[in-house]
Amino acid sequence: MIRKNILAILLLAPLLFLKPAAATALEQPETVCIQCHGSMPDRLGAPVNLWRGSIHAENGISCNGCHGGDPKDAANAMSPQRGFLGAPKEKDIPAFCGRCHPGVYKDYLASAHGRALGAGGPTCVTCHSNHQVVKASLALINEKSCTRCHSFERAKTIRDAMSGTEARIVGISGRIAQFQVSGVDTEKMGKALFSVRNRFHTLFHDVDVNRVKNESAAINKELDKLDAALKVIDDEHARRRVVGGIAVAFAVLLAILFHLMKKTYD
Amino acid sequence: MENEGRRKFLGVCVAGCTVAAAAAAGYPVLRYLAPRSGQGGAAKLVIPAGELKEGDAKFFEFAGSSAVLIKTNSGQLVALSAVCTHLGCIVQWVKEKQQFLCPCHGGQFSTDGTVLGGPPPRPLAKIPFTVTEGNITIG
Amino acid sequence: MLNRLYRWLDLRYGIGEIAEKELTGYLLPRNINEWYSLGSVLLVIFAIQVVTGMLLMIYYVPDADKAFKSVSFIMNEVPFGWFIRLCHAVGSNMMVAVLLLHMFSTLMMGSYKAPRELNWVTGFTLFALVQGISLTGYLAPWSQLSFWATTVATNSVSAIPVLGPTLVEFLRGGKLVGPATLGRFFALHAAVLPVVIAALIGAHLFFLKRTGISAPPFGKDETANPFEAREYHYQGHPGGIPFFPNYALQDLSSISIYFAVFLAVVFFWPNMPFTPDAFVPADPFKTPAHIKPEWYFLANYQTLKIFPSELLGLSVQAAAMTFLALLPFIDRSPERHPLKRPLFLTLVIAGILLWIALSVWGHLS
Repeated sequence: MIRKNILAILLLAPLLFLKPAAATALEQPETVCIQCHGSMPDRLGAPVNLWRGSIHAENGISCNGCHGGDPKDAANAMSPQRGFLGAPKEKDIPAFCGRCHPGVYKDYLASAHGRALGAGGPTCVTCHSNHQVVKASLALINEKSCTRCHSFERAKTIRDAMSGTEARIVGISGRIAQFQVSGVDTEKMGKALFSVRNRFHTLFHDVDVNRVKNESAAINKELDKLDAALKVIDDEHARRRVVGGIAVAFAVLLAILFHLMKKTYD
Repeated sequence: MENEGRRKFLGVCVAGCTVAAAAAAGYPVLRYLAPRSGQGGAAKLVIPAGELKEGDAKFFEFAGSSAVLIKTNSGQLVALSAVCTHLGCIVQWVKEKQQFLCPCHGGQFSTDGTVLGGPPPRPLAKIPFTVTEGNITIG
Repeated sequence: MLNRLYRWLDLRYGIGEIAEKELTGYLLPRNINEWYSLGSVLLVIFAIQVVTGMLLMIYYVPDADKAFKSVSFIMNEVPFGWFIRLCHAVGSNMMVAVLLLHMFSTLMMGSYKAPRELNWVTGFTLFALVQGISLTGYLAPWSQLSFWATTVATNSVSAIPVLGPTLVEFLRGGKLVGPATLGRFFALHAAVLPVVIAALIGAHLFFLKRTGISAPPFGKDETANPFEAREYHYQGHPGGIPFFPNYALQDLSSISIYFAVFLAVVFFWPNMPFTPDAFVPADPFKTPAHIKPEWYFLANYQTLKIFPSELLGLSVQAAAMTFLALLPFIDRSPERHPLKRPLFLTLVIAGILLWIALSVWGHLS
């Protein structure tokens, strides 16, 4: 039971993050932050609208989730005693975001990007933007964005190495989900894919071309194994359909034989 | 008359098909009911030698059946099938007498499996084992 | 060899006489049609359900903690377990579908009329019991689908005034659906209902044998019921066609066609009896969205929803069911040809259309 539940959670996790959370975000009453800032001009009001289109808004993470403070008490909303943090300084941004994204934070700090923090290197918001944070994808690695600081060449190599893997993971995940809803025990495969996906995600903030390439190759080997396991099931199902076709044809033949035989008695 | 011949031909066809259908239906059921291989105890088992004191016996599942490992008072190790050769009950270790007693019909076996009394027709089967570095490997 | 065995038995038990009376000498009306073979098809379906049910019981564990796992084990690990389970699940749907056809033909040909009132009443009771055995079996896999379908279905009983809540609790074995419910539903599904159904099938066949089979009202001028309630009279069909081999071959032909359809569903539409929730273990704290009953309960489900109060919805259904159950005592005209019973025919067609409309509505809502 418990293991099954874990599997269900693994498989449905992406859905959970999307749909029901969006619903709860809508149900939540507006915070005092938005009540005031929503009607403010320019610098003080703009973040509200940007935030509304973000993955954070979709998942019900509101202003106070990052900036602290009391979203229910207008008078003390921005009081440091209530944990209000305000906007972080440039070099504090990674740690600011890293409170909720510790894994990515670690990966970022270890990368060339992170090592250049404070020395002109990019922070989280350089690529992800600040209030309108959208769901991370490989599309964030693009010519326009990367060429602000350096040539796109190496970034493109990295993206190309990763995009194939990304597509494969999405594809395999879809096939597993399909099997799951037709009664196939996909627990093992679901877990294997989960760990491969995690391993893959740690690559997202790595900017070492060779490491990305090597890791991608290793991850693809793991995906090959999953592909093979899925193929076994596919073959089995194809075999069942052939046998089923024969069985149905056989039943029809019997019906015809019985009918003809009955006719000889008419 | 023509009808007769046709009827006979169809009868043969139907009989053949019915037999085939019965076989086709029977096969899945038979496979479904067949005991699943690879169940029960492992074909190889490692027991730490320290687990067993002199004069004691340790019962365990081995290759889908019951077995027993004893260490005699003289320190000798013996592994035997624990299934009585009479009617298949599981023998018990009588420590005081240093012998096996089958509770079903009073069969008695010595530490090396030979029949000491009662109805059992054959001695208990011996199971090969090796001792390496304080580990007893059965099978 | 077979001949000698036959002689041996015949000399002692007179099986030749029985065969003569029940098989070759059992004469059926000359204008008998294919619809009359649906009863045999239903017997075969029931037999398949019993056999596959027994097979499933070998691996299935009726324990809330283990049921889902054991079903998953049957579907994935046991050789041909998926096949046995699908046969059982698809078979239950097929049984309801064929029962509906069987009842439809009985309505159309007016076969429920005197002296066959009890044939209809036992048949209708069987229909209700088959729905009951389907409902109780639905809980067995202990999936989200099982759990919440059972919650909704048992909950509708609470609309009964005064006794309702107590009745629901009694039905569930607790305030909510839980392990206690699985215990009682499993006992009902695997022990009580099969025996009751088998006994009622016996009664149904007994009535059939004692009244004799009805002749279809088609292809004859005189289509009114010949029955007069003066003394017991077996309706024979002198000059009719023998059951064996003629109609037995029709039965076998219909059964083969049934198998073709049944196997086609099992192999090519294996998800027919399931929704994705059928493969998620039951979670009493998480109601899935869009939980719907099986197709044959959709009309009942929708009826409950459209009436302003549940009690009203339940009463309407109870009234409809009672009306149908007692139909032979309400519709007493001897006429049996559907075209000579325009009012009845209109009502039947309207009823079926209403049922389909409610089902579709329930499915889409």
